[in-house]
Amino acid sequence: MAAIYKVSYVVTGEDHPGAILNVDHMPEVGEKVELGRRRFVVVEVFELVPPRGEFHFLHATLAADDE
Amino acid sequence: MDLLGILKRVELFEGLRPDQLEAVGRICRERRYASGELVTGQGDPAEELFIVCEGFVEIVLDSASETGAPRTVVSLGPGQIVGEMGLVDYGPRSANVRATSDITVVQVIQRKDFEDLCERDNQLGYFVMRNMAADLSFKLRRTNYAER
Repeated sequence: MAAIYKVSYVVTGEDHPGAILNVDHMPEVGEKVELGRRRFVVVEVFELVPPRGEFHFLHATLAADDE
Repeated sequence: MDLLGILKRVELFEGLRPDQLEAVGRICRERRYASGELVTGQGDPAEELFIVCEGFVEIVLDSASETGAPRTVVSLGPGQIVGEMGLVDYGPRSANVRATSDITVVQVIQRKDFEDLCERDNQLGYFVMRNMAADLSFKLRRTNYAER
């Protein structure tokens, strides 16, 4: 089975709750992410804990996308 | 995607054999919610575990004061579990869970069915309980990083 990335998204600079969800690719810095009706840009990604089986556990920091 | 395909992508069931996943599938019941609908309410008895399969739910805390506004602490999307705290500690729901997508699909497992399955198949019970502890740990680590 292909890798599954469980990602914790946290938004900086504003009072936004962020999200946790499974995605099928590893987020990259500069990538655009939509949460609800808002669009953000990834500014930081790191591994929160080591992978287990097909699951990878990541933490991504988001900022408002000004573009 | 069929139910087994969905369950394979849920961390809670990581490590289970196909026949064990099928046993889990037999105790799942699908529910659908529209945006804004309450899945479970803060203070309610916790008798069910929810698995988000499609869409998002938000976890909302009521204010401690009567005049304060509710606060959304996180949104949970596909593959995430909700309601695991009450399932293991038998306490009431600690937050409101509300659907936020136009179509939100969850699989629901009753506590009794869950406990019976874990007792019948101890290996399955070990994996699921380990994964549930890991999920709670993930959420705690997230909170710690978010508050840096």
